[in-house]
Amino acid sequence: MNRIKHFADIETPVPGSAWTAMDERERVEQVLTRLGESPEQFLDLIQVVNAKADGQVVLHMKQSLSASQRGPFLLDLEDCLRKIDQALVVWLEPLGDRNSLRNLRGIEVKAS
Amino acid sequence: MTSAAVQTREGALILDSHKLSWHYDRVAAWEAGERIAPVSVDMSLTRACSAMCSFCYAMMQESQARSSIKESHALNLLDDFAEMGIRSVSLVSDGESTISKAYVPFIQHAAKLGINIGNATNAWEWEPEKIEAVLPHITWLRFTVAAGRPESYAKIMYKGPEHTQVFDRAMSHIRYAVELKRKKNLPVTLGIQMVLMPDLKDEILPFAKLGVDLGVDYAVIKHCSDDEQGTLGIDYSQYEALHPLLEQAEAMSNEQTKVIVKWSKIKDGDKPTYQRFYGPQFLLQISGSGLVAPSGMFFNARHSKLHIGNFTEERMKDIWKSDRYWRVMNYLASPHFNAQTMMGTLPIQHYVSVALDNHLKGIQRIQPGTGEKPLHVNFL
Repeated sequence: MNRIKHFADIETPVPGSAWTAMDERERVEQVLTRLGESPEQFLDLIQVVNAKADGQVVLHMKQSLSASQRGPFLLDLEDCLRKIDQALVVWLEPLGDRNSLRNLRGIEVKAS
Repeated sequence: MTSAAVQTREGALILDSHKLSWHYDRVAAWEAGERIAPVSVDMSLTRACSAMCSFCYAMMQESQARSSIKESHALNLLDDFAEMGIRSVSLVSDGESTISKAYVPFIQHAAKLGINIGNATNAWEWEPEKIEAVLPHITWLRFTVAAGRPESYAKIMYKGPEHTQVFDRAMSHIRYAVELKRKKNLPVTLGIQMVLMPDLKDEILPFAKLGVDLGVDYAVIKHCSDDEQGTLGIDYSQYEALHPLLEQAEAMSNEQTKVIVKWSKIKDGDKPTYQRFYGPQFLLQISGSGLVAPSGMFFNARHSKLHIGNFTEERMKDIWKSDRYWRVMNYLASPHFNAQTMMGTLPIQHYVSVALDNHLKGIQRIQPGTGEKPLHVNFL
């Protein structure tokens, strides 16, 4: 059966009580522990900025990766974190516009 | 949402819906689980722009690194598009393509390959020589006109109301194109577009009047997109109060110029009906940085996990065939992704995504297109 049909009506998972019951520091520790145990050595390339109760984990990349590398790297990392909770999703810190003219508008890309 | 065609002198114009019915081969292949090529690509040849529009989504689309798109990259890209089976390219997205050195050769090469081209531009750097070189090869041109009055236009699109020279320049170029189309009987559709932010209600009627005065084929008014964090601060609940003015604007349509409101998007607001995001498989977006990501909603570094490649570093056809490409597309179609919470509002792929979601859920099945094809049929 084609999986896309199967997924159309399925709700996106939300974090379980074990994740939501933790405070921010505990959630970050859980993430660091899980990533540290992984053979992929994710922590060589990223820092954890925060890990929210709603399942969003925000990361900072210590060095730039090409577009062809960073997508698979971060999806692998997200797969790894799903061993903690199925609802965890990773994002990087947002970048603001580098266009000097548009920047005169004073718009700052919101992080959350 | 499939019959929102406006009858113009040149045919049925669909701006507030989709044209998937006329690409049913791709819909059927997609539903069968095949790896399909997009029907259409929205892209830019640069991230640069000489305007500073207050509504510009490009402010939220900075990826990690910019690459300069050279003419050779752009022409190779078109060759790959042709090989993949892509039917149209819209030069829109996160930069002003008309200022790229690749702009004219890109459009002329696309014409040779049989790929339809559309283009959105502020027309500031779109001088007569450039217009003459590209207009015969373009299917549609849509000019960004933020307001109908020079001072308002300059305030919204540039540094302040005193800089009305940008308005005068744009109008001069648009008039030149309208005249050239008439003189040479070119099969191109010319339109102007206003991106309506709720506080711009006083600009609605002057904009419609300007469209009629210019003699373009249409003047369209659309919603303003925002990112999922609400960076631009758009309050979608305020659009409803504008409905009477928008209806008044539509009533200004005449035989030559149709004033069109994108009611579907304006009424849909900030929460889509779909959670899965199928649209990018049919309508792909590419940044003016060369970044290939499924949608402009994901260009920002924040969404780096959905970044697939950069066509200035590897050939597009190889990116499309890669497992990376399909991993990301499948991710967006999986329960891990929720379009209601994980991306900005009303993406380019909105109409297509609603239709595909309704199709899969059996709410409204897409049917093969019959009868006369609408204008711009290869642009979804």
